Amino acid sequence: MSGKNVIVRIAGAAGDGIASTGEILGKTCSRMGLNVMAYNSFQSAIRGGHVWLQMAIGAEKQLCHGEEPEVVLLFNKTSPSVHVPDVKSGGIVFYNAATIKKEDIESIRDDVNFYGLDFKSMVDEAGLTGVSPIMINTMLSGAMVQALDLDTSIPLEFIKHKFQKKGDQVVDLNQAIFNLGADWTKNNVNEHVFQPKGDGKAKLFMTGNEAMGLGLAAGGLKLYSAYPMSPATGILHYLATIAQTDKIVIKQVEDELAAMNMVVGAGTAGVRAATATASGGYCLMVEAVGLASMLEVPAVCVVVSRGGPSTGVPTKQEQSDIDLCIAGNGDSPRFVVAPKDPEDAFYQAARALNMAEKYQIPVLILSDFFLSEHFETIDDLDFGKVEIERGKFSTEWEGEGRYKRYEYTEDGVSHRVRPGAKGAQYVPCSDEHNEFGHVMSDVEAGLPHAREERVKMHAKRMKKMETMVSNGDIEAPTLEGDENTETTFMTWGSSYSYAKEAINLLAEEGIKVNHLHFTDVYPMPKEATLAQLKKCKRIVSVENNMCNSLCREVLAQTAFEVTEHINRWDGEPFTGEYIVNEFKKIAAKKELAKV
Amino acid sequence: MTTTLEAKDFKGEVHPDWCPGCGDFGVLNVLQRALAESGLQQHEVAVISGIGCSSNLPGFINTYGMHTLHGRSLPNAQGFKLAHHDMKVIAVGGDGDGYGIGVGHLIHAMRRNIDMTDIVMNNSIYGLTTGQTSPTSGEGMKTKSTPFGNPELPLNPISMALGSGASFVARAFSGNPKQAVEIYKAAIAHKGFALVDTFSPCVTFNKVNTAQFYRENTYDLAAEGHDASDLQAAFKVATEDTYASGRIATGIFYQNTRPCYEETEKDTLATPICDHELGITADRAEELKARFK
Ligand SMILES: Cc1ncc(C[n+]2csc(CCOP(=O)(O)OP(=O)(O)O)c2C)c(N)n1
Ligand code: SF4
Ligand SMILES: [Mg+2]
Repeated sequence: MSGKNVIVRIAGAAGDGIASTGEILGKTCSRMGLNVMAYNSFQSAIRGGHVWLQMAIGAEKQLCHGEEPEVVLLFNKTSPSVHVPDVKSGGIVFYNAATIKKEDIESIRDDVNFYGLDFKSMVDEAGLTGVSPIMINTMLSGAMVQALDLDTSIPLEFIKHKFQKKGDQVVDLNQAIFNLGADWTKNNVNEHVFQPKGDGKAKLFMTGNEAMGLGLAAGGLKLYSAYPMSPATGILHYLATIAQTDKIVIKQVEDELAAMNMVVGAGTAGVRAATATASGGYCLMVEAVGLASMLEVPAVCVVVSRGGPSTGVPTKQEQSDIDLCIAGNGDSPRFVVAPKDPEDAFYQAARALNMAEKYQIPVLILSDFFLSEHFETIDDLDFGKVEIERGKFSTEWEGEGRYKRYEYTEDGVSHRVRPGAKGAQYVPCSDEHNEFGHVMSDVEAGLPHAREERVKMHAKRMKKMETMVSNGDIEAPTLEGDENTETTFMTWGSSYSYAKEAINLLAEEGIKVNHLHFTDVYPMPKEATLAQLKKCKRIVSVENNMCNSLCREVLAQTAFEVTEHINRWDGEPFTGEYIVNEFKKIAAKKELAKV
Repeated sequence: MTTTLEAKDFKGEVHPDWCPGCGDFGVLNVLQRALAESGLQQHEVAVISGIGCSSNLPGFINTYGMHTLHGRSLPNAQGFKLAHHDMKVIAVGGDGDGYGIGVGHLIHAMRRNIDMTDIVMNNSIYGLTTGQTSPTSGEGMKTKSTPFGNPELPLNPISMALGSGASFVARAFSGNPKQAVEIYKAAIAHKGFALVDTFSPCVTFNKVNTAQFYRENTYDLAAEGHDASDLQAAFKVATEDTYASGRIATGIFYQNTRPCYEETEKDTLATPICDHELGITADRAEELKARFK
């Protein structure tokens, strides 16, 4: 941070156009080649709730949405008391003078610059007609874009695009209102905040959910069934927009039970299928995930974590579902991967579809509220890097004798013939079965040959957990930074960026910390993971939860215990500053390691 | 050229483990005959079940299929069908599976109208779990879980189906194979979701609704000139002909020709999606990315 970026915040009631104002600003920056990370903190998106969005903008990749905003747009009367205290000293606050009284807001702080925009008198003075008070968001957008000295031609083009369907007059009116805000700012605002400059190379500006959906599509997704649940619904919404053009069957179904079972049915028939849900919805899918394990059917589910237990904290951040993804009845093979940011989500989604088919298992992509819903810029997504690997699979059966769907093999993976092939009829069965798929329970259960078959078939399925590792398809945690530091931050999933930001902030103070990050959380390659852990002198875990789920998993899979923790479970994602402060509290107890 | 098969060609390798005399044997025979007489080949069919005595059926038939979870035959079958829609998909299972734990899926499957058949082997009891009350057990029926008599009213699957937008609703009885084969063939030929409630007596745990009971209390709708295109007439028969009435209708209650789900997604499903090329072309990738710029 510190002079390298600018933090902006936009706040108001749901329905004030906070999201669209933010999108215009974000995309303007993104087109100019600036980097953005935007975090929307919203209450359940029902009209009347208070919502806000904060963005860090800079020339370098932004790892954190920051703490103290420097340029702020406030729309409604709830806003001043909530947000003015957070503003950085010397910052600029634009507010809607029609809804916020000057005396109510400007008395809160005297080290902040306030500018109330009187929408009605400004449009009247300009002689504009046909305006509605909601258009204040366009005016405030103009003020923000000007205050940051961004290229105003870009948002003007967005406005044109957005209102084109409604005719030239509507376009002209909105552009005029935008210009009123921009011109007013040029004439009336003297303070200078940091004005970032981009490299002119347009980036992608998207959420983790959108990147995930795009990654699934790139990876050959053909069927997606889901039941709406925040914060996973964005994937459904995105995929629905490309269903027809990209020939993907998108089904909103009656419940999560149906969603996951439909994926298993489609996977059995030989298509790449996926679903997504949030924590509680995944609870309903657990039995069907076990079904995929038992039938050895590829299936992908994105589990978007939110605070639990039960309905929990629906539109808030938490990383507490590793155990949930591993859980189910019996020992059941699967792979759990936790992408670290939207760009990673794109590639991991495509990888998940490959892993599911290669090992004929369910793959769970563990996301979270922050990763799924926040926007950030991505330099580019390389579809060319996505390769489709279907593993031992064929659409026809040309083998000798009777086809054995569950043939015993050294690596635990049997050749999968797509149903419909002539002469290979089989019925995958959720009861324990023999190589042909014939049921071994019921009548035969307990007989010596059935016990022997159970032992062998169960071992064959579980063998795939080892095969994934020995094939090199599971990544050990990465260790970034100087190997000789006294302290290591250990993270997984979306905490990656925040920990990295904190490490940068600490470095500015002369405190060196390196970074151990887990993407593949189940299984872990034991030896390689231990080797990484043992390179670290003192490990402090950084998890957006209360009970240290990664540490528990590391202990379970490698017998290595991490005993120092930084946690946050108030529903907000970390920030770099938050981690630094928590680290200093821990360090105050022990001796702070200065290198 | 494909040859026309006979019922015996659909016999599976595994001998059914049902109790001797179980109605499910009859259903299996009827289904094998109906498939053969529909001119289908073994590899063109998938029989997909949940869990229960009746749900063991896919293991005994020589076709593709799935034996899934209790109550989940329909979402698996619908996923399978959407993925490979040129195969014939037939869901099978019990009254507990279809009308109890899986009833939510059934209602939505009927209004969704994917082109498939659902055979519910209705014995008014939970067979596999050794004889508890089921959603279609009669009022007052004594079972292991209701030793003093079932206090609940039985569910009426036919009127439920008619009220849920089903495009084909029928009832068969495993003890009347001649009629059942014709009903199954009509259900398989129907373009849309076809529900066939099939009385399939459990000889071990239901001493009330026996084969004898059904022989004495059922009659054939067709013989009484029922018009299967008349929804109101179907409702009337379905609500009047209760278990208790002693006059239980079998045959096709209702059938209409509304477009099946697949026809609403003609473009995507022009060919089975399991045959589609996977992935996104380089040109299309640029278009998809442009939206985020
Ligand atoms: C989730 C779940 N709950 C309960 C069971 C136990 N169970 C197995 S079959 C069955 C009911 C069987 O009745 P029905 O579907 O009518 O089939 P039938 O055996 O009578 O043919 C139950 C409750 C289960 N397998 N899974
Ligand atoms: S318990 Fe009943 S339903 Fe099950 S096999 Fe025996 S007779 Fe058939
Ligand atoms: Mg039953």
